[in-house]
Amino acid sequence: MTSLLQNLIDGLGQGSIYALLALGVAVIFGVMHLLNFAHGELITVSGYAAVAAFGSNLSWWLVAPLIIVVSIVTSLVIERVAFSRVRGASEFTQLLTSFGIHIIVSAVLIMSVGASVKTFAEPPWIFDRIDVGPLSLEKFDLLVIAVTAVTLAATTWLLQRTTFGLSLRAAAADFDTARLMGVDSDRVIRGAFALSGALAGVAGIFWLMRAGNTDPSAGIDPMLKGVLAALIGGLGSLRGAVLGGLALGVAEVLLRSQLPSSVAVLTDAVVFGLIAFLFIFRPQGLITVQHAERV
Amino acid sequence: MKARVFPLAGAALLFVGIVGVGLLFETIQGGSAAERLVTAMFINAIIVVGIQIYIGNTGVFSFGHIGFAAIAGYAFALFAIDPSDKAGRIADAPFGLADVSASVPVAVLIAVVVSVVIAAIVGIGLARSGAQSGAIAATVITLALLFVTHEVARSWSDVTGGERAGLTFGIGETLDGRVAVYGALFASLAIALLFARSGSGRLAKAGREDALAARAMGIDPRVQQTIALLLSVAVVAVGASLRVYEVGSIQPGQFFFDYTLLTLVMLVVGGRNSVTGAVVGVVTITFVRELARRLGSEGFEVFGLGLDGVPLDWVFREGLPRVVLGLAMVGFMIWRSKGMLDDWELDEWLRRRFTSDQEAPMPAEAHSGTAASNQLVARDVIVDFGGFRALNGAEMAASSGEVVGLIGPNGAGKTTLVNVITGMVPPTSGVVALDGQQGEIDLTSAAPYKVARAGLVRTFQNLRLFSSLTVLENVEVSKLVAESHRPSERDVGAEELVAAAGLWEHRDRRASELDYGNSRRLELARAAAMNPDFLLLDEPTSGMSDSESLNMVEHVRGMAELVGAGVVVIDHDLQFIVGICDRVYCLDQGSVIAEGTPDEIQADPAVQAAYLGSAANT
Amino acid sequence: MLLEVDNLTTQYGSIAALRSVSLTVAEGELIGLIGPNGAGKTTLLNTVAGLLEPATGSVRFKGEDVTGRAPDAMLRAGVALVPEHRRIFVDLTVVENLRIGGVTVPAKEREPLLDEMAELFPVLRDKWTTQAGFLSGGEAQQLAIARALMSRPQLLMMDEPSLGLAPILVDVVFDLIVKLRDQGRTLVVVEQNAARMLEVADRAYVLRSGELVVEGTGAELGARDDLFKTFVAGGDA
Repeated sequence: MTSLLQNLIDGLGQGSIYALLALGVAVIFGVMHLLNFAHGELITVSGYAAVAAFGSNLSWWLVAPLIIVVSIVTSLVIERVAFSRVRGASEFTQLLTSFGIHIIVSAVLIMSVGASVKTFAEPPWIFDRIDVGPLSLEKFDLLVIAVTAVTLAATTWLLQRTTFGLSLRAAAADFDTARLMGVDSDRVIRGAFALSGALAGVAGIFWLMRAGNTDPSAGIDPMLKGVLAALIGGLGSLRGAVLGGLALGVAEVLLRSQLPSSVAVLTDAVVFGLIAFLFIFRPQGLITVQHAERV
Repeated sequence: MKARVFPLAGAALLFVGIVGVGLLFETIQGGSAAERLVTAMFINAIIVVGIQIYIGNTGVFSFGHIGFAAIAGYAFALFAIDPSDKAGRIADAPFGLADVSASVPVAVLIAVVVSVVIAAIVGIGLARSGAQSGAIAATVITLALLFVTHEVARSWSDVTGGERAGLTFGIGETLDGRVAVYGALFASLAIALLFARSGSGRLAKAGREDALAARAMGIDPRVQQTIALLLSVAVVAVGASLRVYEVGSIQPGQFFFDYTLLTLVMLVVGGRNSVTGAVVGVVTITFVRELARRLGSEGFEVFGLGLDGVPLDWVFREGLPRVVLGLAMVGFMIWRSKGMLDDWELDEWLRRRFTSDQEAPMPAEAHSGTAASNQLVARDVIVDFGGFRALNGAEMAASSGEVVGLIGPNGAGKTTLVNVITGMVPPTSGVVALDGQQGEIDLTSAAPYKVARAGLVRTFQNLRLFSSLTVLENVEVSKLVAESHRPSERDVGAEELVAAAGLWEHRDRRASELDYGNSRRLELARAAAMNPDFLLLDEPTSGMSDSESLNMVEHVRGMAELVGAGVVVIDHDLQFIVGICDRVYCLDQGSVIAEGTPDEIQADPAVQAAYLGSAANT
Repeated sequence: MLLEVDNLTTQYGSIAALRSVSLTVAEGELIGLIGPNGAGKTTLLNTVAGLLEPATGSVRFKGEDVTGRAPDAMLRAGVALVPEHRRIFVDLTVVENLRIGGVTVPAKEREPLLDEMAELFPVLRDKWTTQAGFLSGGEAQQLAIARALMSRPQLLMMDEPSLGLAPILVDVVFDLIVKLRDQGRTLVVVEQNAARMLEVADRAYVLRSGELVVEGTGAELGARDDLFKTFVAGGDA
């Protein structure tokens, strides 16, 4: 029981990062039906910005907001340069475009800073633990969970209470009708990319803290986790994406700790395989959020 | 036999083309590096053509084929590498894999079998999810597969030799000479072109163009997709084995993201819907990438060309080939998303070039005499969409030789009734039954493709042709289904139907190039090619001018008589309905409010009220 | 003239859904557009609203050429459309649907408009925070109309507002149309219920196969006994 609780909290820490990534993927998919394989590049680029910032002796306290800003700007630039030109094209055209962007970003990084791995110092407290009764919790996990909760609350407020959020939700539900109501399609799409970039930025802070390094293809892993978590939640469903991310994190931690050690190294393979297998039976996503009946 | 001449000639020409380009480059450049580049190009061509068989014919994007390649590559390596070379790496391998050995051809065969078996299992999943929620889900499954194979290859070091070491051939045991590569290359081109022209390939393409229309024509796209997948994986497996044999070793990274990327860019740039496009893409990308590589590593002098004085040294670096690949992908997606050749195919071009102009076949005689006595009945049909009752106890009956009309105001439920009859919408309650060629069948809630095979074939309000197939191919696709599921002693051929539709001179044009009236006639001919017991036509004259719709009266009657089918027709145009129907049902608010001859219906005050609305507060 | 449509032709691929249609709407008029399925009525409204690009012809609004403008630009110019099948946002609440309708209105002026809608549509007031997907057909139609009114349009176009409604709710919709007209609003309404439409319309146009076949005042057209023939059977007009 204790170990289960322990795993659950560890898993939520991991899953929170995935949830933020998945939410960013789902926001974009909802508005323009783009499955964004370039989402991880936001973290790659932020990672190099962090490397540069640490080079100028900045501390994590300054680097963290910098990461968010870089992530948002990168997201907007990618939209402007590439995605705005394939808007409304088929899902596959958009998906392959994002795939192409992934390649270009990593290649440009290889050209400009080289293919080698760049490391930086993790914050000193990253492996500190706090004992709560029988549980031994990482400070880092608790921080991730807390920040994610705040970020999700802020996102919820943005989506529920602001005109932009309302426009975004309307555009995701029915783009043409939203335009008929006067929603400016350029603005809402740019806003979606900014939001997606901000969420990736927050996730990126923790991802980079944990990794302590970056390299030109560092985006593949976060992209994959984000995309899969969004799919678990049913693409386009925001609540589903968050739940999908948390579920993915918990599943990973549980598998890693419960599987016999010879198989535990295969956790990623098992998780991917499980997801693929589950998709065969529930391709609309594993978690379906209740929808109102369409009249 | 004659049908195979052109695909084989096409394969031979493509083979000569790519080999010629490769040998020419080798002669000009000389040296072993050039030789290796050209060998790699041939092997890549085998793999890309293999991937094209699946993506091109089904329209489903797969990121997972390189995963299958990895499986094949390891299977090949495990059997082809001499046990003494394996001993150091994977002495503990389970199932005695460390001690097995086989000749190279046998190892290739094993690789093909293993990967095809795994593809069959995956294929079941792809078919299931693709049918339910579209191609994106299928794509993601293939992506997950790629990562699963990579993770397994990295982690299961007892079998794969692990991440870095991998499995390695002994010195002197690898590919020498290109005979095997040439053989496999020609075979893959021939298989791809033959499959594209085969019945199965054409049915798969129909599903690619419009899955819903394909099902309405009795095609089960899942079956064709699975066949394409297995064939495609078999070809990829041969290519992967050769790649391992040529390199002399296999590590997990060799068949992963970067290689997926390379092969996909090749396919997409050349044109994914064409085998010729795949070959052109492989050649183009190979040389563009090589150019970029040399610019990146050697700087300013390439092929003897000096670029001194151009301040571009920040571009000519490691990573340039990758940038070029990425730009090619994004650029083609933005400006030419179907690739250089789209679906232009060499063998088709040859066929058109070298077959003499055919005369239009004589129009077939109308089906006569043996008046069939088929009956179609829908009873007490209720359909609820959420809280909205679209059909409320609707009913209709039709028998062969009869033209029955369904009319009613917008939203009356006409199309919903046809959707229920053809299996596209499951009724909340009610019965659909057909007493036809194949005896009495209950079709309530049957799958659309089964309904079509049973003899109810429909057209669509908003025209759903297989738009990038030719006019003749559109009709042939239905004919193929009819041949296996609706044999008839008096078969009207696809060419006769095209001629009867007045489309003979357009037979080799894409359906999307037809004007509206011709498109409608083609849709009708395609439905008639199914040898249906009943044709169900949803608004065949919508968007037509008055004179065009009058012509449609004769045309619909002619087609129905030609294949001996009864007709159920929805139309808003009363002139058309009066001209063509023997009997008419008028629907309003989901139920039948009147039934009778066209004259009776027109005079019925209830019908007039339904159409025009009644004055206030009746 | 508030709206002048001149020789408008709209195509879907090779299909001309609208062939050279011209019409005018003066301020304060209630215009009916009637005709059978597939006559091009929806295409006409969608083209004016900017959802479809016309092949030829022009649309002028308040004297200004607005041909081919995007839908959000048309809305800002003062043209609102209640689309066919209502297309309300089923996952959003009633009040959120209304707020989206008023997205072009400054936030400060939006709240008083909401009050105005609450008064005009009492059925909606009780369901303010209900998900719109749970509304009945009649309520959903009223929401769609209210949502369009939130932008304070100078021209309101409605596409088949009575489609799929029970007769008693059809009455409600027509009462509402009359009420809006009496408030001095300018309306263009596509209706299948031709008789009812002609009773209330100032003027009406009949479309068939993408072409305009008859126009006249509501009373004139309503009095024609060959209307049924003209309307559905395409007899000479």
